[in-house]
Amino acid sequence: MKAILATVISLALTTVVIGNAYYQKKQFYPSIVYLTNSNPSMAVMYLQAFILVLLVGKLLRKIFFGQLRPAEFEHLIERSWYAITETCLAFTVFRDDFNPKFIALFTLLLFLKAFHWLAEDRVDYMERSPVIGLLFHVRILSLLMLLAQSDFYFIHHAYQFTASKGPSVQLVFGFEYSILLIMIANILIKYVLHAIDSRWETPWESKAAVLLYTELAINFLKVLLYIGFVAVMVRIYTLPLFAFRPMYETMRSFKKAYNDVVLSRRAIRNMNTLYPDATAAELAAADNECIICREEMHSGAKKLPCNHIFHAACLRLWFQRQQTCPTCRLNVLRAPAPAAEPAPAHAAPGHPAPPAPAPTAAPVPPPFPQMPPPMMAWGMPPPPPPRPASLGNLTMAELQRMEGNERRAIEARLQLLREIQSMLDASVLLMQQYSTVVGSVAQNQATVGTQTLEMGRTTEEPETKPKVKSEPDVVPTTSSYQPSPVASTSRVKNEPPLDRPPADADANPRDKTDADAEELRRRRLQKFTLDK
Amino acid sequence: MAGSALRRLMAEYKQLTLNPPEGIIAGPIDEENFFEWEALITGPEGTCFEGGVFPAKLSFPPDYPLSPPKMRFLCEMFHPNIYADGRVCISILHAPGDDPMGYESSAERWSPVQSVEKILLSVVSMLAEPNDESGANVDAAKMWREDREQFNMIADRIVRKTLGL
Ligand SMILES: [Zn+2]
Ligand SMILES: [Zn+2]
Repeated sequence: MKAILATVISLALTTVVIGNAYYQKKQFYPSIVYLTNSNPSMAVMYLQAFILVLLVGKLLRKIFFGQLRPAEFEHLIERSWYAITETCLAFTVFRDDFNPKFIALFTLLLFLKAFHWLAEDRVDYMERSPVIGLLFHVRILSLLMLLAQSDFYFIHHAYQFTASKGPSVQLVFGFEYSILLIMIANILIKYVLHAIDSRWETPWESKAAVLLYTELAINFLKVLLYIGFVAVMVRIYTLPLFAFRPMYETMRSFKKAYNDVVLSRRAIRNMNTLYPDATAAELAAADNECIICREEMHSGAKKLPCNHIFHAACLRLWFQRQQTCPTCRLNVLRAPAPAAEPAPAHAAPGHPAPPAPAPTAAPVPPPFPQMPPPMMAWGMPPPPPPRPASLGNLTMAELQRMEGNERRAIEARLQLLREIQSMLDASVLLMQQYSTVVGSVAQNQATVGTQTLEMGRTTEEPETKPKVKSEPDVVPTTSSYQPSPVASTSRVKNEPPLDRPPADADANPRDKTDADAEELRRRRLQKFTLDK
Repeated sequence: MAGSALRRLMAEYKQLTLNPPEGIIAGPIDEENFFEWEALITGPEGTCFEGGVFPAKLSFPPDYPLSPPKMRFLCEMFHPNIYADGRVCISILHAPGDDPMGYESSAERWSPVQSVEKILLSVVSMLAEPNDESGANVDAAKMWREDREQFNMIADRIVRKTLGL
């Protein structure tokens, strides 16, 4: 309704402005000159153009997507705000060649970007929608073709322009459209994978792995592009601040994809080679249920070092995200195999085998506090390596050095991963030592009494420090929560009794959300009473 | 693997309808789409949210249960661990990799062992015992710490609102 109103108003305004110009000048060219020289008229024309773009966008959206889901719409709005902010930042770099054509080009870029995002969301949604009709395939494929063509055209144009007239804002366009073209490639691959998957009756297990590798490759390409772009921009203009957020995000997802690939490969190899298949008796002891998919296990179940049993296929998928036991969070990469030797040397190159299983998640390096030197009497922890600087603190040059040139960079990253691993080893060892110390102190205090004062003080410091870091106050969770109402309320019972405000406190009129909530509640309650 | 996520959601739905936990109702909004659920949570007894019935929406990712769902309250909420737009911020809803607040240990994070029921139960216990360290709603956290009376007043107003009073 609002949209129609805005359209009508802008149309009326435009008619008035043009009519006025023509009325005053009587001829075509003078009217045009009059229009372009009058600021209010131009403002109206810009508004009209903007509304037209929106209308075309709506039309195309209807053609290619039909109705947008609310999640898609929210996502679109969110990404648009980022893109608009960054476009404004880009304007500051190119303020010299600021003209209507320039704005039009950026608007077009934003416009096309929006369709790329929508296409991406729609293809991601394929995995969730039970039925995919022919219309969906036709829409997505034709849209992808169109977008790819336009991206290609603009890249070509930018290249020609830059080659003939030297560097200009076309550099930005060439780069942006290259990124979009890569995005199209990514969407297309995902589309093909999902389409194949949806045709098969049985779940396609290696799809997740293929997706992971695709992500790695795509992100690698993007990182290369960003680095090249930043380098060129720094050389010719200035630091392209507007490209930093997407660049940072690309680098982060590249790093994540890389870690996922390396660690998940290792975990899956361990699973295939080291962990035994669960026996029938063990399966029966675990109620035959796989906790990941909640389905029965008959065969193909694997037993982890912690004796928890899952489907091998389910475990493989989970290991692509986390290399821990889903039930007890034992880090499978750092636990000795149940029956056989601990992980062979090639599985974990260069990292010292920890003496005990470490129930921490490997892929995330936790904030590592400056700890006092480990007490050697209780074991030989690996020396903690220097803490790697966080990506955020690195300068551009350092980032480039880190992400750049294939082999060396990858070696550097491997080195980093090993350091993280040995830091984790060290922290686990330290924790064990602290608990040993605390345990012995407690005993000493019980038996010896006052003599332990000094020792207690020395151990108190290191004991509290890691505790603060590793066991922060977190929102209550359910890992140990028992669904008995007594447990959840007993603690709050001794709070001051509720002060009911006088009845007029809520005299304010009910608004729409209120009514909606009530309606939802009623509907849901009704539904469930019917169901039961 | 769309199939396995769907099968597990159906299994959980069945389980929840057969053995509903006290004070919690949850199920798909639309039987055609099992990836969007609606839940009704009653405020825990003996707390300032007692008696309220809070509607919330759960959105499941295609790779559920490998990734956690997202949860958002659909009614007005004022709570240290709920964002102004209704999003719930508790560690069980965060994958071990991402840590928006930077202090959660991975032990309480999402894993396939968790379930809709466990999420909803931990939301109930979150309502009963807010964690004022988490900064989802800084104002609410501050008020919870410093002016409990006022916090209870606001909670009471919200409770009445959800009941349509
Ligand atoms: Zn399974
Ligand atoms: Zn386990």
